[in-house]
Amino acid sequence: MDVVVRAVGLTRRYKMGDTFVDALRGVDLSIARGEFVALVGPSGSGKSTVLNLIGGLDRPTSGDVWINGTELGNSDERTLTRHRRSSVGFVFQSFNLLPRLTAEENVALPLMFSGVPEKERLTRARALLERVGLGPRLAHRPTQLSGGEQQRVAIARALVARPAILLADEPTGNLDTVTGADIMGLLQELNQERTLTLLTVTHDPEVAAFADRVVRLRDGQVIS
Amino acid sequence: MTLKDLAKTSLANLGRHKVRTVLSAVGVTVGILTIVTMVSLGIGVQQEINRAFRSAGLETVEVRPVVEERTAFTQFIQPRREVIIAPALVEEMRARDDVIEVRPREFAPWGAHIYLKVGAEMVEARVGEPVWWDDRMSDPFAKPPELVAGEDLAKGVQGEIVVSARALEKLGYQDQGTYEDLIGREVALVIKAPRGDVQEFPLCLVGVVETYHGTSYYGAYVGLDDLVALNAWYFDDPDFVEHEGYDSLMIKATSLNDAVQIVELLEERGFQVQSLKTTLDTINKAMTILQTMLGSIGGLALFVASIGIANTMVMAVYERTREIGILKAIGASPGDIRLLFVAEAALIGLLGGVIGTVGGWLLGLGLNEGILAYLDWQEIPMTGTFFVVTGWLVALALAFATVVGLLAGLYPAARAARLDPLEALRYE
Repeated sequence: MDVVVRAVGLTRRYKMGDTFVDALRGVDLSIARGEFVALVGPSGSGKSTVLNLIGGLDRPTSGDVWINGTELGNSDERTLTRHRRSSVGFVFQSFNLLPRLTAEENVALPLMFSGVPEKERLTRARALLERVGLGPRLAHRPTQLSGGEQQRVAIARALVARPAILLADEPTGNLDTVTGADIMGLLQELNQERTLTLLTVTHDPEVAAFADRVVRLRDGQVIS
Repeated sequence: MTLKDLAKTSLANLGRHKVRTVLSAVGVTVGILTIVTMVSLGIGVQQEINRAFRSAGLETVEVRPVVEERTAFTQFIQPRREVIIAPALVEEMRARDDVIEVRPREFAPWGAHIYLKVGAEMVEARVGEPVWWDDRMSDPFAKPPELVAGEDLAKGVQGEIVVSARALEKLGYQDQGTYEDLIGREVALVIKAPRGDVQEFPLCLVGVVETYHGTSYYGAYVGLDDLVALNAWYFDDPDFVEHEGYDSLMIKATSLNDAVQIVELLEERGFQVQSLKTTLDTINKAMTILQTMLGSIGGLALFVASIGIANTMVMAVYERTREIGILKAIGASPGDIRLLFVAEAALIGLLGGVIGTVGGWLLGLGLNEGILAYLDWQEIPMTGTFFVVTGWLVALALAFATVVGLLAGLYPAARAARLDPLEALRYE
C-alpha cells in the first residue's frame, strides 16, 4: 500500500499565558494513496491541529510526520514552504479566497509562486474551474459568488498544483446542508476519478459519512 | 515569481488604494523636485559660464603687480608695489612663441579727481581704457560699445578720447545733433595732483558712446599711452612706467597648456596670476558646493518622505495580515512576501520620482522664463538657459527615488515575511 501520510506520536503543546495546553497528546495516523479519510471529534479534540501539522502550517512539539517520505516535523521554513506549495492543497471553512481577484486569478495564484508563466497558469485554472462546474464564472469576484461557489473555487485552487493530498478544514461549516452535501459530493467524485487523497476535518457525522474511513479524536488522542 | 508577475501584482495592489499611494508619494515628489530644480540650476549656470569663458579663451592669462600688505595706516594711500610689470617683461612675453598677443593696461591714478573739459565747462569723469578690442582678450562678458556719434578709439592710438553721452549731458549737450558737431573738436582732461599742481591734457574727441561694456558708464576713454602720461605727470615721474610698471598685463597664449606653463613661470617670479581657467575652476567648485548644499534640502525632504512610505507599508501589512496568511498557506515563501512589499514601496518611490522630475523640469522652465523676463526688464544684455535637465540627472533622480522607496519598505516587508501563517489566517 502506498502511504502518502504517516504521522507518529504527534504532540502539540501551546503556551497560553502561564499555563500550557496540550492540543495533541500522541497521535498516530496513516493515510494511503487515494484514501478519503475524515477526522472527527468535538470542539477542542485537536483535529484541526492534526490537519495543520500535516499541512505544514504548524510544527509538532514532538513526534513527526512524513508526506510522501519527506519529513516535516524538523524541517526548515524552506522545506515547509515547498511542501505547502506542491504537496498539499488547503480548503478552509471560510473559503479564504482573495477578494480582489477573480475566480480564475484565485485559482491560478499558487502557480505564480512556483514560477509558472501566466498563460499556462490561467489554462490550468480554467480547466479546474470547468471541472468544478464554474466555467461561466471565471471572471467573477468572490463577492459575486455564493458560498457554495466560493468553496468550489477554493477546491479548484487547492488542486491546481496537483498536490499529493487535499486537506479540508470543516469545508461545509459556512454552508447550508444542501450546499454542504453538494460540496462533499464533489470531493467524493474528485477522490474517485483522480485517485485524490483526501483528509477532511469535521464535527458533523453526516459530512464524515462521505469518507471511506473515519478517525475519531478526543482530547488530543485517537480513540478509534 | 517572475519579474513581470511581481510588477503586475505590485501595481495592482497599489492601484487599489490610489489616494493612499499618491499621498505617500508626495513626500518623494517634493524631495526630488527640489533636487532636480537645484541641480539643473547648477548644470545650467555652469554650462553658461563655461561657454562664456571658453569663447573668451581659456588661454588668456591676467597678471597683476604684487602690492605690499595694507595696514590700518596705509589703507588710504596708493599701495607700494613689490613686484612690477615692467616694459621689459611685456616685451619678453611678446617675444615668446607660445604667446599670440600681449596687452598691458593702465588705470587712472588711484584716488585722483579727473575732469572732462569741453569748452569752458567741466564735469568729473571716470577715465579708463576700453576693455573691448577685436580680440576680446580681457573680459568674457565684454560687449562692444554702443556708439551714438563718431567712432571708437583705434587700437594703440594716442591723443584721442571717446566720451560717454551721460558726461556730455551733464555739460549741457543734449542731443544727437550736438554730439555730431563735437566730433573732431579738441577737449581736455584736467587733473589735479596732490602736490597742488593742475594740468590740462588736450585730446581730440573722436566718438560718443551711449553705453560701454554693457552699462551706461559715466566716463571717458583714452588709450594706453595717454593714461601712462597722466600717471607720469600725477606722480611727477617721467619714467613712471619703468618704476611702477603697468597696472595689469593680459597675455593670450596659443593653447591652454601653454597658458598653464606661463602661469607657472610668472608665479615663480612672484606675480599673482589669474587665468580664466583658474577663475573658471574656482567658480565650478563654488557651484558644486552650492548645489550640494541646496540639494541637501531636497535630501532632507526625501528622508522624511521615506518615513512616510514606511508608515504606509506598515499599515498595509496590518490590513493584509489575513491575505498574507492565505498566501503563505498556498505556497508563498517568506521571500516572496518580502519581495511583494518591497516592490510596492519601491514603486511608490518611483511614482514620486517621476512626478518630481517632471515637476522640477517644468519649474526650471518657468523660473528660466522669469529670469529672462527680469533681465529684459532691467535691460541687462544677458541671455541663456540657466536650468538644464540632462539625461543622467533624470536617470539618477528616478533611481534615487526608487531606492528611497525600496529602503523604506525593508522593515515593513520583513515584518510581513515573519508572520506566522496560522495566526495570520485567524486575524480578522
